[in-house]
Formats: sequence, structure tokens, C-alpha cells
Amino acid sequence: MNGPWVEKYRPQNLDEVVGQDHIIQRLKQYVNEENMPNLMFTGPAGVGKTTTAIALAKAMLGEYWKQNFLELNASDARGIDTVRKDIKSFCRLKAVGSPFRIIFLDEVDNMTKDAQHALRREMEMYTKTSSFILSCNYSSKIIDPIQSRCAIFRFAPIKGHQIVGRLEQIAKKEGVKYTPGSLESIVYFAEGDMRRAVNILQSTASMGEEITEENVHDVVSKAKPKDVRRIVNLALDGDFMGARDLLREVMVVQGTSGEDMVTQIYQEVSKMAMDDLISSKEYVDLVEHIGEYDFRIREGANPRIQLEALLTKFLPKEKAD
Amino acid sequence: MLWTDKYRPQTMDEVLGNKKAVEEIDEWVESWEHGEPRKCLLLIGPPGTGKTTLAHLISVFFSDHIELNASDKRSFDIIMNTVGEASASTSLFGKGRKLIILDEVDGLHGNEDRGGIRAINKIIKEGHHPMIMMANDPYSKRITSLKSKCQVIKIRKVHTNSIVALLKRICIKEGVDFEEHILRTLAKRSRGDLRSAINDLQVIAQGKDKITSDDLEVISQKDDINNIFDSVRTVLKSKNPRHIRDALRLEAQPGFILEQITENIPREYEKPEEIEKAYDAVAEADVYLGRAFHTRHYGYWKYTYDLMGVGVAMAKDETYKKFSRYASSTFYSKLSKNRKKRDLRDRVATKMGEKMHTSRAVAIEQFPYFEIMFQPEDLARDLADYFELDDAEVKQFRKRKIKKRKTKKAPKAKMKGTKTSSKPKAEPKSQKTTSKKVSKGYKDVETETITKDSKPKNKAGEMKKKKNKTEKKVNNSSKAASKDNGNSEKSQSKDNGKQVSLFSFK
Repeated sequence: MNGPWVEKYRPQNLDEVVGQDHIIQRLKQYVNEENMPNLMFTGPAGVGKTTTAIALAKAMLGEYWKQNFLELNASDARGIDTVRKDIKSFCRLKAVGSPFRIIFLDEVDNMTKDAQHALRREMEMYTKTSSFILSCNYSSKIIDPIQSRCAIFRFAPIKGHQIVGRLEQIAKKEGVKYTPGSLESIVYFAEGDMRRAVNILQSTASMGEEITEENVHDVVSKAKPKDVRRIVNLALDGDFMGARDLLREVMVVQGTSGEDMVTQIYQEVSKMAMDDLISSKEYVDLVEHIGEYDFRIREGANPRIQLEALLTKFLPKEKAD
Repeated sequence: MLWTDKYRPQTMDEVLGNKKAVEEIDEWVESWEHGEPRKCLLLIGPPGTGKTTLAHLISVFFSDHIELNASDKRSFDIIMNTVGEASASTSLFGKGRKLIILDEVDGLHGNEDRGGIRAINKIIKEGHHPMIMMANDPYSKRITSLKSKCQVIKIRKVHTNSIVALLKRICIKEGVDFEEHILRTLAKRSRGDLRSAINDLQVIAQGKDKITSDDLEVISQKDDINNIFDSVRTVLKSKNPRHIRDALRLEAQPGFILEQITENIPREYEKPEEIEKAYDAVAEADVYLGRAFHTRHYGYWKYTYDLMGVGVAMAKDETYKKFSRYASSTFYSKLSKNRKKRDLRDRVATKMGEKMHTSRAVAIEQFPYFEIMFQPEDLARDLADYFELDDAEVKQFRKRKIKKRKTKKAPKAKMKGTKTSSKPKAEPKSQKTTSKKVSKGYKDVETETITKDSKPKNKAGEMKKKKNKTEKKVNNSSKAASKDNGNSEKSQSKDNGKQVSLFSFK
């Protein structure tokens, strides 16, 4: 059993982590000192935050790292109470076989402010026995008291050539052939996200042929949600009810969050502008609205209502302006 | 005595408001009196507007009447018996007929009323019996079929002024001194419900010779029996801010009201500009809802109410003179309709998230790639094993079941830890015991797997156990096949465990 390549080729130690050299340097120093402060890893998806945290825990805690390492995902653990309970029962016991225990809390920016305040208290309570590693996409979403208690490490998107290098290694080990330039096209679509890059690589390879630019395009367009394009087009054609219905369908069935949805709509619209399907003026107008509703989604109570309101901006209006 | 009974109109002329409806009913009665059968009457209107009163008033024109309401058991039999009785005692013409009064037909449902609608339909079809039915909710699904077959008469709310006038008359007759503004408040609060207005008056005035503003404190605002769609209708049809604000005095949560108004904007408004404007208002209303929630400062709600009420109402150029069918938000029905899909999605995402150290949301983002990866059988099998997905869960990524592993010669795989993985399929069928992958595109991958699986199998005693384990993981190997439908892996592994112990005892 191999599992997906994203797991099979996940770096197993700090040295293998790609593209975050200066961070790794610093973390290794912690390992040498056998001590570390609370850490916060911030950065976009797929740049190695989780990988680094696990690798650091292994290096720091040694042989018994598994017993002394707790990994929690803040967005799935239902409510702060579960998180606290888990942390409490984990921290109550002393570390065995390693200097202290490490709690890795992923996607902390999905926690509410209240939950974060509660978390801060937990962090204080167990400083003697445990260290925390928090990870998030946006550090601005983390309350100041937590930020000030952590050493903050900003993970940058991984550079193109570094991703290519990694993909080459994987392709070689898997015996997958590729044409020159094809890996670069994967990198283009991955946008600095290693997880996506590796998944595109494996999806393309799974089609059983050599990896070519064309195959990569194929996979990416297959994997791309087409519904968003349809939603936008329905609205542009004036079928508001149809667009609204599809939007709801997608959000219910695929569980797309409001924030993801607005990003996807933005990407779709800008692609349409690049392909000259809408005029530059229309584009600018729409982007202004999209930006506004993106902001409102974060302020409002019900992202879906904001998105539906955004769709009304796409409707053809009789009064030409 | 209840004042509502005491002051119930005694003739059709005394009925407040609804002049048109009264005329229509008069004409209907006359028809029957002349021996001309008419369609059944269906009176639809909010509570306390005189539907039952009207029915009783016309009953005197018939020889007799039977009344059934929500408290009666309305099974098919009861209605049919009554009807049978009625028809038996009927002379063919006019006065001999019994009037059937059926109250609250929109409340017919459930097992007790099984067949109730059927019975009603039969009466309607036969057309021999004068029947009058009443309902509150014009949009109730239960009466949609009735509406097309009956003569529908809408009974409207009674106008505030008419209510005030009546309350005045009552006060005078009861010898109670009053200030007009008090009666006006009572009338307004009743929102067109005459019965509740009279009841309220009785509460504060009976046995007194004077009523004052203080008395108003005693009675609370009328309970929220208003259908939320009435409020939605007011918002979408009216342009009068006061009416709109009144209509939005509902018990329901503002988020829910907002949802229902939003749902029906494009069902009422037709011009894109209006839809856009109205949506601007609800979006803004939602922002205040969010701010109230985030800051726990619920004073912001007032802006929510104004924006989704008056804001939406003002988005229209003028009121549409049409009947719009309003609906409850399709979002909720979509949620329940797709529950299975969502459960599956979340279950799969949880399993994958655990293995890939991600949240469910991030796992779901990767789904499209896995849909591609799950197409080749071997990779699909490997991934399903890795993520511990059962047959049902694999359906998230592919429609077909994953084909069973090709059987292989047992000894080779076990003893030698063979590295030649992809053997031809043609193997003796008697050797069903070992299950093993056959791979084409993933030679290296395969080799590794098999090596791992086979290494510990050197000990003869371990062999069967290991075999069963492998089977469990494969999840659709030949042995497990009979029970793999819906069986979770856990239960399978249990079964296998039992088998093992049985074997070893033997």
C-alpha cells in the first residue's frame, strides 16, 4: 500500500523540507538547544507548515515523538471545548522519553475570537510541560495575545524551480516519464502550492501516459470546478433564478465556503476578461463588486446571501450606463 | 358569555368588510335555493375575519347543517356517513338539502384524517351536496387540489377603522366609557383579526365603567400566528413603511426572516434593477446581522429589520399587480435532499484528512484530483486501502466498484516475498486464499507492497491471519465479497478474527 504521493513523498525530516531554508535553519537551532518557544507558522496552503511541524516534532522529541505529539485541526474539532478537553488530557501527563510535549494546532485562523482567547489560557497553563505550534493561513486573523506569545515564522510560497526539482525526484522514483516543460506547466497551475503540484503530477501520471503539457492541461481543466463558470454565465445571461439555484447546489453538495466561492468567481471572471469574453470596463466594474462582497462575506452573517447579491451585479440591465 | 358570540352578526348585512365576498356567497346560496347545484365554496382568509360566521349565517337557508372541524376525527368513514345521512334525508330540491360545513381543511392530515381529502373530493365530484369549506393558509399544499375544484372566495382582514367602529358600538352597549385611541390601539394590534380585538376588549373592559391606557398593559401583543409569508408579502407588495415594520414584528429569528424575504425577491420582482437593489438591501441587512453576532451588540438588529423590510420594499418601482407564488428558501430543502451526499463527502474527507494531516475542507479541495486518480483500478484500490475507504465511500470518486484483486498463487506471494509483482491473471482458481494486486502501471509500487505484506508471513501460523488481514484491507476479496455490502471494515475484521481463532483451534 502506497497511498497518495503527497503522503508517500512528504519530507520525513527537516532537511528534506523544500524551499523554507532560513526557517529550517532556525528550527534546527531549537533542536540543538533541545528547547523551543511556542511557534506560529503562517503562510498559504501547501508550503510545508504541517510537514515542518511534524518533522520538527520528530527531531525534537526523538524516538518517542508519537506519544508526545498531539496534532489537532482547529477547524474540524467541533468547538473550543473539544480542543480544550483534548489539550487538557494530553498536557496533564508528563512527557515520557522526551524533554516536553508538543501540541500542533492546525488552521487556527478558523477559530472564533472567543475560542482563541480560551486557547490562550490553555497555552499559559501548560507552558512548563508543553510547547505549542500553531499554524494558520493569515496571522492577521489571530488575536494579538496569541501572536505575542509565539515566535512567528512566515512560510513563503515555494519557488517554481524548487517545486520542479521535487517533482523530478518523484517522477524518477516512480518511473514516470515526462516531456521537457511539462513539469513547469504543473508548477504554473500549482501557484506555489506543493500539495497541489504533487496531486496534479499523480493525477496526470494515473492516466497512464507520459506527462506532457497537454495532459497536464487536461487534468487541470478536468479538476477545475466548472459549475462556477456556469453560475457566472447564467447570471450574465439574465437567468438569476438559475444562477442562484446552481450556486446553492454547489455550496450544499460540495460544501464550498463563501470565501472560496468568491475567490473562484473572481478567478473565473478574470479568466473571462483575459479571453476577451467580457470587456475591460465590465471587468473592472465586476471586480469592484466582487471585492466589495468578498469583504462583506467576512463581515456578514450569511455568506450565501452576499454571494447571491453579488450575482445580481452580473445581470444584464436595461438602462445602459 | 363571550362577547365574540354575543356580538356575532345575526344577518349577512351585519358582517364587517368583505362586501364582495358576501355578495358572492349570497348568490351561491340563491342558486341552491333554486335547485341549481353549485361548486363547493372554499373560503380562505386569516383567522378572526368571519369565515365561520359567514358559514353559520347561510346555514339557515338550508334544511339543516353538519359541521366538522379540526377537533373531529375526519376519517373517510365519518365524512361519508355524514354525507350518506345528508343525502338520505335530501329531497331533490332547494331547502331539503343539508349544508356541509368543513372547517380548517388546511389542517387535514396525518393518519387520523386518512382519506379525508378523498372523501371531500368525492362529494365535490358528485356535486349533490352544498358544501362550504374554510382554510387559513392559501398556500397550504393540502388545499392546492381543492382550490382548482372549488369556488374560492378570499376573505380579507378587516380594516382597522371597521374594527374600531365595532369596538365603539360594543363599548356603548356595555356601558363602558372609552377613549378612542385605546380602541384604535386594540384594533391595530389585532392586525385585522376581529375576534382577537373583541376578546382583548372584553378582557380589559368587562365589568368596568371605564377603560384607560393603563389597561392596555394587561394584554400583550397578539401571538404570532401570522404566517411568515404574510410578512414577506407585505414587504414585497407594500411601499408603506409603517405596514412593513408592523409586518416584521414576528417571533422568528431575523436571520430566518431575512432568508425568506431574500428567497422571494426574484419571485416577485421582475426587473433586474429591482432585484439588484433589493439584494443590496438584504446583503446590507446581513452585514448588520453579522456585526450584531460578532460584537454581541444586538442593537444592530434594528438596521437589519429596516434594510430587509423597508429597504427591500423601496427597491421596486411600483407594486406588481400579480399573484406570486412564494416559497420557502430552497436552500433548506437542498440541505435535506443532499444530506446523504454531504454525509458521504464529510466521512470521506475526515478519513482522508486524518491521513493527510489536513482539515476536511482542505481534503475536499483535493477531491477533483482524486477523482482522476481513482480511475485506474490498481491505484484506486491502493488509495482506498490507504485511506481505509469502504465500497460506499469509494463512490465519492468513481461510479463503478473497484474490481476485485486478481487471485494469485498463494505460496509464491507468501513464502518468497516475491518481487515479480505483475503476474498474468491466469492462475489456478483453487488458490483463492491469497489476494494480491496485479498492477501494470505501478510496478515499483506493487513490488513494495507485496514485499511488506509477505515478509512476516514466513511463520506458518501467521499465514492465515495475515491473509485475512490483507483481505480485510482489500475489502472486496473473494471471501469477504458476500458481506461487503455496507459492512464496515471493522465488522469485517471482527469476522475475520473469529475465523482465525476457529482455524487455530482446529
